[in-house]
Amino acid sequence: MKRRLFVASSLASLGLSGCGPIKEALTNGPFGHVLASTDRLNRAVIDTHGMARLYPDSAIDRSFRVNGLDTPSDAAYTRLAGGGFADYRLIVDGLADRPQRLSLAELRASGSLAQTTRHDCVEGWSAIGKWNGPRLSTVLAMAQPKASARYCVFHCFDRDAAGQPYYESLDLHQAAHPQTVLALDLNDAPLDPDHGAPVRLRIPTQLGYKSAKWISRIELAATLDGLYGGGGGYWEDQNYDWYAGI
Amino acid sequence: MGKLVYRHGIAERTTHWLWALALLVLFMSGLQIFNAAPYLDASDKSDPQRRVLAMGAATVDGQPVGIVTVFGHAVRTTHLFGFTDDGMGFESARAFPGWLTLPGPQDLADGRRWHLLFAWVLVIAYGVYLIAAGRRGTLREFVLRPSDLPKLWPMQLYYLRLRPEPPPHGTYNPLQKAAYTVVLFGFFPLLIITGLALSPGFDAAVPWLTVVLGGRQFARLWHFVLMVLLLGYFGTHLILVVSTGFWNNMRSMITGWYRLKEHDGVGP
Repeated sequence: MKRRLFVASSLASLGLSGCGPIKEALTNGPFGHVLASTDRLNRAVIDTHGMARLYPDSAIDRSFRVNGLDTPSDAAYTRLAGGGFADYRLIVDGLADRPQRLSLAELRASGSLAQTTRHDCVEGWSAIGKWNGPRLSTVLAMAQPKASARYCVFHCFDRDAAGQPYYESLDLHQAAHPQTVLALDLNDAPLDPDHGAPVRLRIPTQLGYKSAKWISRIELAATLDGLYGGGGGYWEDQNYDWYAGI
Repeated sequence: MGKLVYRHGIAERTTHWLWALALLVLFMSGLQIFNAAPYLDASDKSDPQRRVLAMGAATVDGQPVGIVTVFGHAVRTTHLFGFTDDGMGFESARAFPGWLTLPGPQDLADGRRWHLLFAWVLVIAYGVYLIAAGRRGTLREFVLRPSDLPKLWPMQLYYLRLRPEPPPHGTYNPLQKAAYTVVLFGFFPLLIITGLALSPGFDAAVPWLTVVLGGRQFARLWHFVLMVLLLGYFGTHLILVVSTGFWNNMRSMITGWYRLKEHDGVGP
């Protein structure tokens, strides 16, 4: 059985109820704001500078570890996958002057960057894969973001056991990093469903949970408030830091 | 009765207790983070071939057991490590027990938040201490010098009661100076550096650091080893605080005033 992050997380929520008021006060009370504040501090100090290390192909993990929520199994995703994602369109909209609906062929035609980089999971393990796809900045530029856009939000096909959809977000500075790509291939083959087919984010300067799989739509937004839990991501809504560069 | 001397300034005392608290929180939240991937590899990416430590559970004769494997040698650790208290009143597959982790039950997200917050507390307390102790001259009193080296062994013999008198020394004896120097100028900065090397953002900004440490998983191993070494120092520190005049030692770290004992000197 695959070991999955969300198992740990559901145990954690059990723990919240089991451990009672002290932990509740420390984690979600006023001190919770103090705990959450280092997110901004870490981001201010480390931010997004430099380039993630590139590895030779000999370092690649051929069977790249699968993690995250379960591979989507709903009718819409299954139908898309059954058709080789020929009917898939990546929607790029929100605060954009020219919203886009991009086929995989169009995404492939918009440039491709191959990078062999290390994927660092928040759990602590690392694996190396070769990722191939257009730069996120290229795709966002096609949609011509409005001046008011500050974030791009990734809406995904996958949902947890409770039906909560996965989503993630980056600010446009992180999105503009040249190694932030919309990966279409892993290890020289099109992404398989377990690794996020047909399109996933790959941002090697941050922890793995930022690299959203199964992306259906990218929304340009001025704020992350009011979106699901307001944390800017599925895991962020469960107390993981929004800035995952550390 | 010996003379009362003022040993530690207010900033030194405050930061000492502050980092003591920070290290306790960092230790317990660090074990929480470790539990999410309870193994350490001497490599860059995760590599079971280069696994130095693994903590896990298995089923033997229908019973769950905890197993710690160090360099390939497996030891049964049921109820303590591997299969142990889950922080919710039960036992489950878990590397370190709930009573040793912060928060108690499995909770990587909050463990990370505690760890990253108190990492800042440690860094700030450490920085303020170095400035304050440097200005007051405390650093000069305890930093190990080449002239202290020949006195280390005689001091050890004195501790082992194989020598009647300690070698003549200033405020701190040569072994104290060695320990404080290694901890403050070795363990502390290395713990901070190996922790930073785990950060993918920091790794991109300062890529040589992770390389020097042998890779990201190796940095995680160093970080853990330094924690164990610091824990060893802390145990020794506590034993000596208690055995060399507990109230006098506590007073000096609370009010600053220390009563000199036989053999105690003053100065570097």
